[in-house]
Amino acid sequence: MGTAVTHAPAMEDLTEDSEPRHGPVNSAGSAALKRRGRRENLAGYLFMSPWIAGFLLLTAGPMAASLYFAFTDYNLFDAPRWIGLDNFSEMFADPRWRHSVRVTLWYVVVGTPIKLILALGVALLLAQKRRGQAFYRAAFYAPSLIGASVSIAIVWKAIFSDDAAVDRAQRFLGFDAGGWAGDPDMIIYSLVALTVWQFGAPMVIFLAGLKQVPRELYEAADVDGAGKLRQFWNITLPMISPVLFFNVLLETIHSFQIFSSAYIVGGGAGGNACGPADGSMVYTCYLYVQGFENSRMGLASAMAWMLLIAVALVTAVLFWSQKRWVHYEEDAR
Amino acid sequence: MSSPGLSTPIDRGTPPAARPAGGGALRRRLPGSLAWHLGALALLAVILYPVLWVVGGSFKRSEDIVGSLDLFPGDPITDNYTRLTEGIADVPVSTFFMNSLFLAGGSVVGILLSCSLTAYAFAKIRFAGRNLLFTLMIGTLLLPYHVLLIPQYVLFRNMEMINTYTPLLIGKYLATEAFFVFLMVQFMRNLPRELDEAARLDGCGHFRIYWSIVLPLSRPALITSAIFTFINAWNDFMGPLIYLNEPDKYTVSLGLKMFVDQDAVADYGGMIAMSLVALLPVLAFFLAFQRYLIDGMATSGLKG
Amino acid sequence: MQQGRNVERRTVLKAAGASLAVAGLGATATACGGGSGSGDGTVTIRYAWWGAQDRAERINRTIALFEKKFPKIKVKTDFQPYLDFWKKFNTQASGGNPPDVFQNAIGFLRKYDAKNVLLDLGEQVKAGNLSMEGFRAGLEKFGEIDGKLLGVPVGSNSMALVIDKPVYTRAGVKPEMGWTWDDFDEAMKKIRDRTGRAGDSGMYGVMYLYDLYLRQNGKAFFTEKGLGFTEADLTDWWTKAEKGVRAGLYADARKVAQIKPKSALSAELAGSEFTWDNFTVRYTSEGKSEYGLAPIPTTDGKKTGQYLGSLMLSASRRTQHPEEVAQFIDFMVHDPEVAKIMGYDRGVPATQAQYDAYRPTDPVNQAIAAYEESLVEAGVLETITPHPAGADICEAAFLRIAEELALGKRSVDDAVKQFFTESKTALGS
Repeated sequence: MGTAVTHAPAMEDLTEDSEPRHGPVNSAGSAALKRRGRRENLAGYLFMSPWIAGFLLLTAGPMAASLYFAFTDYNLFDAPRWIGLDNFSEMFADPRWRHSVRVTLWYVVVGTPIKLILALGVALLLAQKRRGQAFYRAAFYAPSLIGASVSIAIVWKAIFSDDAAVDRAQRFLGFDAGGWAGDPDMIIYSLVALTVWQFGAPMVIFLAGLKQVPRELYEAADVDGAGKLRQFWNITLPMISPVLFFNVLLETIHSFQIFSSAYIVGGGAGGNACGPADGSMVYTCYLYVQGFENSRMGLASAMAWMLLIAVALVTAVLFWSQKRWVHYEEDAR
Repeated sequence: MSSPGLSTPIDRGTPPAARPAGGGALRRRLPGSLAWHLGALALLAVILYPVLWVVGGSFKRSEDIVGSLDLFPGDPITDNYTRLTEGIADVPVSTFFMNSLFLAGGSVVGILLSCSLTAYAFAKIRFAGRNLLFTLMIGTLLLPYHVLLIPQYVLFRNMEMINTYTPLLIGKYLATEAFFVFLMVQFMRNLPRELDEAARLDGCGHFRIYWSIVLPLSRPALITSAIFTFINAWNDFMGPLIYLNEPDKYTVSLGLKMFVDQDAVADYGGMIAMSLVALLPVLAFFLAFQRYLIDGMATSGLKG
Repeated sequence: MQQGRNVERRTVLKAAGASLAVAGLGATATACGGGSGSGDGTVTIRYAWWGAQDRAERINRTIALFEKKFPKIKVKTDFQPYLDFWKKFNTQASGGNPPDVFQNAIGFLRKYDAKNVLLDLGEQVKAGNLSMEGFRAGLEKFGEIDGKLLGVPVGSNSMALVIDKPVYTRAGVKPEMGWTWDDFDEAMKKIRDRTGRAGDSGMYGVMYLYDLYLRQNGKAFFTEKGLGFTEADLTDWWTKAEKGVRAGLYADARKVAQIKPKSALSAELAGSEFTWDNFTVRYTSEGKSEYGLAPIPTTDGKKTGQYLGSLMLSASRRTQHPEEVAQFIDFMVHDPEVAKIMGYDRGVPATQAQYDAYRPTDPVNQAIAAYEESLVEAGVLETITPHPAGADICEAAFLRIAEELALGKRSVDDAVKQFFTESKTALGS
C-alpha cells in the first residue's frame, strides 16, 4: 500500500476541499446537465445518508441536548430542572474542580512536549538509513497501540508501586521517595510516563514528514557549509512544520481527554475515583464521577462544555499561530 | 489527473528520499553506526520493559511479582494461567473474548461499510453542500467525545438500550468515526479518475462504481481502517464501562477491571496473566499488519 | 430527550433505533433488559452485592441451593468492593437497569426510595411470597421507611475494633469493655513502640466510628435533615488524626492507598481497624494473622454509642419478576441451610430459624457471636439514628477527605471546610 498514501500533500487540503465551485453553468448548459447535477445530488445524499443520520442523531442532537443540560439540574431520575448558570458557578467555586483543571493542565503541559520532543528526536535518528530501521520503527510504535488498554494501566500501576522497578531505580540513584502510584504528588508523573511511552505514533508521523524533505535542500546547505544544527533549524524544522503542527494539535487535544489510564492507574478499587488524594483526578475523571457516580448529569454537561471551550480555544490559538511558524510547501519553495 | 482542483499528491510529492537527517554522516560511518545501534537498543529496552515485565510476571508467584527485579522467574509456574480457566466471577474468560470479538468484528464491518460510503460521496460525487458537510465532518474529528458522552447516554437510556451492545456499535454503522472517513477520502481521491470515468461512460451508476471499482482499489485504506477499528474497539474501556451492566456481557477490558476489583487481592498473578492474555490479540494484529498500521498512521499525519 | 415528556418524540427515536437494529444490529438489540423470561418459564434474576472473594464463594453456594429448590429461577451475580458497588449501582439505577435484587444498607434506603428505585416488598408479603415472621430483636422493622418495606435484614452487625491478635499480645494491650479513648491512645503508642507497626489503619475516615464517638457525646453524624455536628467537632477529631498520622500511630496512607482493595489490617500495615464485627470473617481469609474483636472505646467509661446495623436485601422497582425476587429473599433469610453456609459473614443471621441453625464452631465466628452477646449483656445497644438521602455521598466524602488529610494534601481546617461544603451539596441543604 501506501506509497500513494504516504506522500500525500500537507494539511491545507484538510479543510479546503479542492473541488471547483459549481460555477455558472454555460448558456448551452442544458437541462441534461442540470438533470445530471440533480442526480449527483441525489446520489451524494444517498451515499451520505448514514453519516448524516449519525451526525444528527449522535453528534448534533446530543450536543444541543448537552448544552441544554448544562443549564439544568438533572439526576436522570427526575426531569431536568432549569437552574440557569448555577452549574457553572458551582463548578468555579468547587476546589475539586479547580484541582482537576490543574492536574489536567499540568499533565498536558508536561507530557505533550516531552512526548513530542522524544518522538521528533527518535524520528531524526530513525530517518538515517541503517540496518534494522524498520524493526525499530515498528517496535517503538507498538506501545501506541496497547498503551490505552486496561492491561497496560494495570502493569503501570504495578511498576510504579513501592519496591517495584521505578522505586528501586530511584533508590539506586539515591532518592528514597517510594513508588509513585501511592503518592498524590507523583502519581500524575506515572501517567506522564505512560503517555511519553507512547511516543511512537507521533514519531511515525514525523518520520513520514522527514522523508518528504527534498534532499537537494541539504545538499545545497552542505555546499554552503551550514552545520547540522543550522540545517535542522533552517531546513528540517520548517519543512516538517506542518507535521509538527498536526502532532501538537492532536496530542494536545488527546491529552486533554485522558481518562481510562488515569481511572485505572489511579483508581483501582476501594473508593478512590482517581488516585490517592485525587492525585490523578484529571478533568474527564471528575466529569465521570460527577455524571455517573453522583448522577449529576447537568453539572457534568456543564463541565463537558468547559472542556469543549478549552479545546476549541487551544485549537484556535494553534491555528492562529500556525501562520507564523508553519510553512506549507508553497511558501517553502 | 484530469480533474482540476482535486489535489493529486503523487505529482507533487518528492520521491521518498530517506536521507541522513544531518547530512555528511557517511565519513564517520562506523562509530556513528555503533552509537546509533546502541542508542536504539537502549531505547528499545526501556520501551519493551513493561511488556516483558507482564510476560515474566505472569509466570511468577503472586507475591514475587511486584517486588522482584528479575524479569523472568527462576522457576516459572503456570498456575496463573490455569487459574484463568476458572473464569472471573463465574464468567468464563472465553465469554469476555467472544463479547470483545463480537463488538470489534461488528465495529469493523460497520466502519468499513459506512465510512467507505461516506468517503465515496466526498471523493467522487459532486453534490451541493459537499464542502459544508466536509468541514462539519472534520470538525467532529476535533470534538471532545465527552461532550457527547452524557447526552448519548441519556438518549440510549430513554430508548432502553442500556446493557445492550447497540450504543457501542450504532455509531460505527453511522460513520461517526471521522478519522476513517477522512483516511478513505484521501485514498479515494488519489485513485486514477480514468477508471471510474470509463465506467460512467459504460453507463455504470455510482453504486456500481463504488462497489466494483473504488472499493476493491481502496483495499489498503480499508485494511488500515479495519485494523485500527478492531484495536480501538478491543481496547475501548469507557464505552463498555458506561453501557454494559452484566458480567455476561462484559468485554475483555471490563472483565479485567472486574478482576482487579474482585480477585486481585487473592490472586495478583491471575490478574497479570489475564492482562497479558487480553493484550495478545492486539499484539498479534500488530505483528501481522504493522506495515498497514504504520503507513496508515503516517498518512493520517500528513493529511490530518 | 428529557424524561419522556414528549412521548411522540420518544416513540420516533425508538422507531429509529428499531429500524437501525433491523439494518444490522438485530442480534444485539434484542438482547435488551436484564432478567427476562424464556420459553420454558424459567426466569433469570440479577443479584448484586458488595464484598470480597470469600463472601462470593459462600453466596454462590447458597445460590446453587436456591436454584435446586426453585429450578425455574436462575440467578446471575455480580459484586464489587463497597464503594465501587454503590458507584456502579448508582450508574445502573439511573440508567434504568439496576439488578433485580441487591444487598443494601441503612444509608441508602431513603436515597433510593426518593428516586423510586426500591420496590415496596410489602405487597409481596401480603401475597405470601415473603415472610416477615421470626426476625430477632425487632429487626423486621429495620428496612421499613414511611410504612414501606424497602429492605429485608439478612443479619445484624455492629461496629467493633477488629484487632490483629498476635500484635496486640506482643504489645501487651488488652482492651476491655468500657475502656476509654485515652486508654486507646495509650494502646496505639504501645503497639507502635513495641511491634513497630501502626496501631490503627485509619479510624479518622470511618464515618460509622465517628458517629459512635458523636453519640457518646450526645450528638450523631446525621439528623433527619443534615449533619448532626459542627465544624468545631470535626476539627477536633481530625486534629487528633493528623497528629496520630504524623506520629506513626495510624498507618501510612500512601501504603494503604497502594494495596487497595486489600485492607490495611490484612496487609499488616496496622494492628487494628474500626469496622463491622463480621469483617473478621473476611480478614481471616484475606490475611495471614489471627483476628479478633475488641470493644469500642468510650468517652465516659460506659457508653459506646453502638447500635445494631444490618445488611439487607432489597429489590428493584423495575424488576420484571417481583414474585421470584421475593421468593429469593425469603429463601435467603429463612432457610437454615443458607445460614450454615454463610456463617456470620454478613452478620449474625436476622431470623431466629437461621440463628438457631448455625452454631459457630470455628473461633472466628464464635468470637463474633460472643461479641454480639457481650454487647447485649453490657446493655450498650441503642437505637439507630437517621440516615437522610445523600448520606452515602457524605460517607464517601468523609473517607476521601480524611485520606487527603492523612496524605498531607489538606490542612485540618481545609479538610473540615471541604467536607461541610460537599455534604451540604449532597444533603441538599
